[in-house]
Amino acid sequence: MGLTSFTFLVFVLVTLVGYFIVPKKIKWLVLLVSSLYFLFYDNLTFDIVGYVLIILLVAYIFALLIDKYKNETKKAKILVVLSVLIILGVLIFLKYTNFIGITIKHIGNIFGFSYKFQKVYRNVPIGISYFSLIMISYVVDVYRGLCKPQKNILKCALFMSYFPILTSGPFIRYKDMNELYEPHKFDYDRMCRGLIRIAWGVFKILVISERLAIFVNFVYANYLTYNGFYIALAAIFFLLQLYTNFSGSIDIIMGISKIIGIDLPENFNGPFFSRSVTELWRRWHITLGAWLKDYVFYPLQKSGFIQEIGRFTKKIFGKKISKKIMLYLAMLIMWILIGAWHNGAYTFIIGSGILQFIYIFLEDMLTPIAKKINSKLGIDSETFGYKLYQRIRTFLLFALAMIFFSAPSVGKALDIIRNMFVWNPWILFDNKSLYLCGLDLYDFRVLGLAIIVLFVVDYYKYIGKDVTSWLFKQNIVFRWIIIYSLLFAIIIFGCYGVGYNPANFIYRQF
Amino acid sequence: MKKEEIYERLNNVFRDVFDDDSITVNENTTSNDIEDWDSLEHINLVVAVEQEFGMKFNMGEVTTMKNVGEMVDIIMERKNN
Repeated sequence: MGLTSFTFLVFVLVTLVGYFIVPKKIKWLVLLVSSLYFLFYDNLTFDIVGYVLIILLVAYIFALLIDKYKNETKKAKILVVLSVLIILGVLIFLKYTNFIGITIKHIGNIFGFSYKFQKVYRNVPIGISYFSLIMISYVVDVYRGLCKPQKNILKCALFMSYFPILTSGPFIRYKDMNELYEPHKFDYDRMCRGLIRIAWGVFKILVISERLAIFVNFVYANYLTYNGFYIALAAIFFLLQLYTNFSGSIDIIMGISKIIGIDLPENFNGPFFSRSVTELWRRWHITLGAWLKDYVFYPLQKSGFIQEIGRFTKKIFGKKISKKIMLYLAMLIMWILIGAWHNGAYTFIIGSGILQFIYIFLEDMLTPIAKKINSKLGIDSETFGYKLYQRIRTFLLFALAMIFFSAPSVGKALDIIRNMFVWNPWILFDNKSLYLCGLDLYDFRVLGLAIIVLFVVDYYKYIGKDVTSWLFKQNIVFRWIIIYSLLFAIIIFGCYGVGYNPANFIYRQF
Repeated sequence: MKKEEIYERLNNVFRDVFDDDSITVNENTTSNDIEDWDSLEHINLVVAVEQEFGMKFNMGEVTTMKNVGEMVDIIMERKNN
């Protein structure tokens, strides 16, 4: 069920009407029924139900047990480790069998033993990458004493399967989700705000993302002919496509949840205004970063293993360098995991993992040098021009990494990058070459305008202002002009295509 | 252990970890007040505090501590019980 499909619209309407007309006590049950319907809509098979049940039961039972043994630290620790291993085991079994098999095969080839591996195709529940990690955080938070376990298994199931977050997050924490079980009354103001957020998300997806996808898909499918600046432009377009698709989905999801009365955590905060890749990752997929920080990075950094390495390297290199070694080691492991979380494929491990690590590492190493050079040459790094340079640099570095994200294999990605180094800038200006890739002048104009609007709205978010609240403070006539403009823009400029079939949400496969 | 003593020793730890002798912390100090105190440095700080006071924070505390005041409360609780 795609987020911009008619089926989804009907599904959401039925859910909302159902939620607001039933008695207070069973409102959360409506959400549960809808969520389970959504979860199993595309694929209702015994194995899928089985995987979902295993994760639910393990998290539910172990959380209760951990709470029971909270004063016996050892027992609680064994229980939490065991539950995390089982949930991770299901996730690895479903998503990483092929990756692990192929990796072992490659390693085997290098060392001269042959290992025969056939790819396996399993039914995978939608949203498993989200709800498995969400349930791990639930069990771990109970262990850490940050929340009490949920005694009602159906309520536990609702937390795990809350339908808005199944397609593309955000990651939620049980301790922040009391609102799930509260009976929310219908609220007109909240509905308006939710609807605007949904419309904004649909605008991003249908007007910008789907349109960019046409160009990107065409160039990447014909990168030998359409090389040089075509590929550079496609790489930039792909990053914008990915962002508008992903953040647009999040807008739709948050809007729906807002109408129900449940505020979800923000996942993006003007990422393209970041002045470094380090900053970008604080503004991009924020809840994934926060999850990894709390459940992987901090525990890893504080672990005996890393601390031991710290003690060892301190003797040899001194305190400062040993601190850096510990930090980078933990970071490298975390970035590989971020890449792998996106998908069990080397393209992701490189594009959204190792390359990002290298960027952040280089930034950390080079910033002091850049500061020295700037102060010697008298360059002010706080001027508009310098900030713009930093922002464009960050954007382009990220776009380059995302070529791996979009390519079917590492070899292909490298091929695409190689073909980018052809000097043909005239294709940008000769008034015909660009229009050979599926978009005409009209499309480019629509894109240009829409992207300007996107950047303006994002800038407001970046400086900490809420555009919806701003809109609601405006004069009623002006407010409705803006709202109608947005709706008409979606209807008139949306990319529906012939026999419209929305492109798969890029983030949905994770 | 008295609060004043803890703050005094904490100042030294903070100054050492963030290489800045001008740092003076109080109960309301948060990571926003100290430029280098970000998620990358947080554990270095926590481990340095643990070593200074000969105690351990648990992971729940590490991830939820909001300001130095909370950190001091935990240190007092561990050291005085």
